[in-house]
Amino acid sequence: MGAVDKKSVLVVVRRSPYGSSLARASLDVALAAAAFEQPLRLLFMGDGVLQLLAKQESEAIGVKNIGRLLTSLPLYDIERVYVDAAAATRYGIDLSNAPVTTQALDGPGIHQLMTDCDHVLGF
Amino acid sequence: MTVILHTLNTSPGSAGFTDCLRVIAAGDALLLMGDGVYGAIADTAAGATLQASGAEIYVLTADTAAAGVSNLIKGANHVDMDGFVALTERFTRQQAWY
Amino acid sequence: MIYSLLVLSCPTSGNCTQTAAAFAQCVIARGHSIHRVFFLDAGTYTGAAAAVFPQDEADRIKPWLELAQQHAVELILCISSALKRGMLDQSEARRYEKQASTVHPAFTISGLGQLVDACANSDRLITFGG
Repeated sequence: MGAVDKKSVLVVVRRSPYGSSLARASLDVALAAAAFEQPLRLLFMGDGVLQLLAKQESEAIGVKNIGRLLTSLPLYDIERVYVDAAAATRYGIDLSNAPVTTQALDGPGIHQLMTDCDHVLGF
Repeated sequence: MTVILHTLNTSPGSAGFTDCLRVIAAGDALLLMGDGVYGAIADTAAGATLQASGAEIYVLTADTAAAGVSNLIKGANHVDMDGFVALTERFTRQQAWY
Repeated sequence: MIYSLLVLSCPTSGNCTQTAAAFAQCVIARGHSIHRVFFLDAGTYTGAAAAVFPQDEADRIKPWLELAQQHAVELILCISSALKRGMLDQSEARRYEKQASTVHPAFTISGLGQLVDACANSDRLITFGG
């Protein structure tokens, strides 16, 4: 891929961390995009906000720790991370303690985020 | 400006339906396929909610036929696969809800 | 226009994967090209070489084979999704010392870089899930 081939991608994350393989799949896509230096944004909405709970101990069920994976996002220069504020409130998520810093959006803000990106990948 | 084509293939009781409605806005299009077609059944709360969004509502004909709801749909345009592709030509981004 | 598809849906659960294949065929019929179809998560089951379909139902792999054979559409299975689901081509079967390869040769196993490349080089990226 040449340096000119930059299309921005939004990955929309709507699954809880351990109930579905899609949670891990969506983050792997985000990390791959970052590794190939493609502009990426990540949005947590619906049940996806549950990935933002602190103190996940997935070793108890023998799978990779999604929370720990999220703490590494800044290392991959993934900084444009957004969350549906209403969904986070509904689940009582303390965003200040989340594994990754997020920018809170409302419904119109989410719509704007989608229209700002070239491609949207819904997980 | 052509904005977002939403596709929804889960029924009105699903998180996909709720999350889609969180975001969808006037100017967008929504294609109901698979179990999503149940959202466009006439005189239902789900149907009314979709209408109120202001988006253009479409249903995929093969799926409405399978579900037995082809004649029960109200307020949605029936499209075949060709029509689905035509929608993707018009709308530059697609968000899949399921 | 150049299209790529991301297929996440399990081919035996609902008809979303079949819709994706029919969509792809229609994209070509309308004069566009398909850069790549990338199967991820449960979508990787689409490449099952030994899947047997009841006679009175649609053959779920045939439309994909037609796309590959008649239109040279690239069908890529994400390696990490494929392996954990027992979807191995000959080289992965050898590498992991498994008794048989399980992926139809029309499909190629590769990494997420192929999906990223598809995003970078397509006008339309259509996702099929659920």
